[in-house]
Amino acid sequence: MASFMPLIRGAIYAAIGFAIGGGIAQGIAALTNEPATEPIVVLGYVFAVIGWLMGVGMWKTWGDGWFGKPTENDPTGNWSRYLKFNTDHKVIGIQYIVTIAVVFILAGLLAMLLRTELADAGQNVLTKTNYNTTMSLHGIMMVAVAVAIMMGGFGNYVMPLLIGAEDVAFPRINALSFWVVPPVVVLLLLSPVFGGFDTGWTAYPPLSVQTPLGGLLFELAFLTFGISSILGGLNIIATIITQRAPRMTWGRLPIFVWAVLAASVISLTATQWIAYGLLMIIFERIFNMVFFSPPGGNALLYEHVFWFYSHPAIYIMILPAFGAELEIISHFARKPLFAYRWVVWAFALIVALSFVVWAHHLFTSGMGESLHGPFMILTELISIPTGIVFLSALGTLWRSKLRLKVPLLFALGVVFNFSIGGLTGIFLADVATDIALQDTYFVVAHFHYTIMGGEIFGAFAAGYYWYPKITGRMYNETLARYHFGLMFIMYNITFLAMFIPGTVGMNRRVAEYPPEFEFWNLVTSIAAFGLGLSFLPWVYNMLNSWIRGPKAPDNPWDAKTLEWQTTSPPPLENFEDFPTVTGDAYGYGDDLVVHAVYGLRKGEGVNVNFGHNAAPAEGD
Amino acid sequence: MVTMIGYIVIKFRAKPGEIEDAAPTRTHTKWVGFWLAWTTILCLVVIVHPGYTGLIELRKTAADEPDLTVNVTGRRWQWMYEYEGRYVSLFTNDEMLVLPNDSLIRFNVTAEDQDVVHSFWIPAFRMKIDAVPGLTTYMDVNTTEIGHFNDDVNFRVQCAELCGLDHSLMFTRIEVVEPAEFEQWIAEKAA
Repeated sequence: MASFMPLIRGAIYAAIGFAIGGGIAQGIAALTNEPATEPIVVLGYVFAVIGWLMGVGMWKTWGDGWFGKPTENDPTGNWSRYLKFNTDHKVIGIQYIVTIAVVFILAGLLAMLLRTELADAGQNVLTKTNYNTTMSLHGIMMVAVAVAIMMGGFGNYVMPLLIGAEDVAFPRINALSFWVVPPVVVLLLLSPVFGGFDTGWTAYPPLSVQTPLGGLLFELAFLTFGISSILGGLNIIATIITQRAPRMTWGRLPIFVWAVLAASVISLTATQWIAYGLLMIIFERIFNMVFFSPPGGNALLYEHVFWFYSHPAIYIMILPAFGAELEIISHFARKPLFAYRWVVWAFALIVALSFVVWAHHLFTSGMGESLHGPFMILTELISIPTGIVFLSALGTLWRSKLRLKVPLLFALGVVFNFSIGGLTGIFLADVATDIALQDTYFVVAHFHYTIMGGEIFGAFAAGYYWYPKITGRMYNETLARYHFGLMFIMYNITFLAMFIPGTVGMNRRVAEYPPEFEFWNLVTSIAAFGLGLSFLPWVYNMLNSWIRGPKAPDNPWDAKTLEWQTTSPPPLENFEDFPTVTGDAYGYGDDLVVHAVYGLRKGEGVNVNFGHNAAPAEGD
Repeated sequence: MVTMIGYIVIKFRAKPGEIEDAAPTRTHTKWVGFWLAWTTILCLVVIVHPGYTGLIELRKTAADEPDLTVNVTGRRWQWMYEYEGRYVSLFTNDEMLVLPNDSLIRFNVTAEDQDVVHSFWIPAFRMKIDAVPGLTTYMDVNTTEIGHFNDDVNFRVQCAELCGLDHSLMFTRIEVVEPAEFEQWIAEKAA
């Protein structure tokens, strides 16, 4: 019971916060004679989140210090340490991974509901409102999963280990970034109770200004999630810059770390835009300000602001997945990562280009025609640095000594799926074809190929790869192979079939459609159920192996990166003997390249010494 | 690429029990250069060029005088058509939208002021443009074949931007007829 105290305290303080904030809002609304419900919800929610954070442990570990009182912060302990404000990045990583996995499964079940409805052309299982809410919830939950799993989950757990650090640069901010996520999930799951929202996760106004209260809950949730994203990005960048082990120069950084750094640059700078867009919608709702409706307002303003974030956001999703994919390919191919420096430059170019292509989502929106050409060409150019990532994967695999374990199978899945996803994107980048295909199922299939086929397969690759390190147990390889095989086949049938109705004129976000499209929808639905089933061996494997699996050795993959040179799982301070880096991590087949030496010094890792006063003294 | 991966997985598989590493090739500037050059050329020739020329083709008719102008207004969840200066079809999805063949038709599209964003999409013509409250957008279509919704469901107007409850039902059936037949039809309607 005591183990749940932080959560209970968080809930109680949240309720108190809501009462205070709601009360203030009600008072103000009474003075202005405006309806009070939505201001109460907004201000109540803000105070509730603060209360929640304080209750789960932020007050004890951080808040007390603001008033000069002693703080207590003990990240060690049994399983109850995962249920409170804990500053250990490994705990936070697991908190993210487990929460995100649960959201993924829930959103996946919603998808099963959607596919049940879509298997037949009429309006069957769901009412129209429920369909729209289900579809919108599936969208935003999966977007949240996609943004958070690689950065918050694996980025948090593995990145400090990969650079030989003891923890991230700002451990308390790290914990804060995680603990704003449960309110996001609660709000989203509550929204159907309050009327749902029928706008899709894109929430275009004026519709999103007019939707019921459920829509406001969604807008608040998305805003909150943005806070997590921004703080997380900040933390990752600061950590990689300042916490690298001695003599880990930029050229020796594992590619996953570069990928996470690149994604963090986007996360830190682009997320603010979706916040502005959502704030404007909320202000239209509660203050009657005019941004998006005539006279005086323009709905396209929101569309631009929204996509200015949401396009770079997809690179937050895919870059870490590319990083994990390349990392895994190299270690399982027993060969150095091919064209490493080119890949780093490719990541940088992708980040830069990602900010100047957003309007390809707006080709049919009525925006100025002079914008079409430039955005089309810039979008098409992104294929070139993305191609370098593929070159690196193929170049590493060629003449390798490939160990076909499940992490590698998923990494190969990323290469295959993203090829299809990327190629279909070309049709959407071209204005003329996009005009035909925009808002059809072609788009839906395209982004499922890139986000699910690319990033989620990458997340499973990372999940299996780092499972022994995180849990200290080995998963069952055979069961994992069944998961991969079934998932890969069912996934591809589901989404390849989806392209077909898209090209012949079925639009998206509809429950009822012309009967001519029924056959391929049925195929998609059946395969989707198969896809859902394929996750069962995965869930069983993850849970069963964690409890009963064989203990994992420190380095089951015989890989050279730093996380494998410590115990599984690592001790609180990550390394018993801290590494001093002497080469990069890809020295396969080359005895002269040694990644690190150990035991030269203990304690925190800072002060990278760039070559002068060479090696530390012997026997330190 | 798929063939290459398939080949790699079979040919370069580590034999069971083999612990040796592969030869440490880190980069190969010639291959990287070749790949970059090839992907850039592909990008320019197969992607950028058709995109650019397609765009020019698309905008070709913008300055031309259309044979017929139809002003379209969307609101939840119907379309209204005004055949400019001739006949107005009020908000109902039961009537058909009749259009003449072999004509340049310009659609001026908007949505009612207090309504939401819709999108005016005709699958058979592969053209769409959003209907935004407070803005008037346009879309040009050159009709080239006769068609009727009952023979081909692509001959319909379908709203292509989620607009709430009845978004999936916001469509109008289309018929494209010979210009003479169209003139007859509209004369009847205007009477």
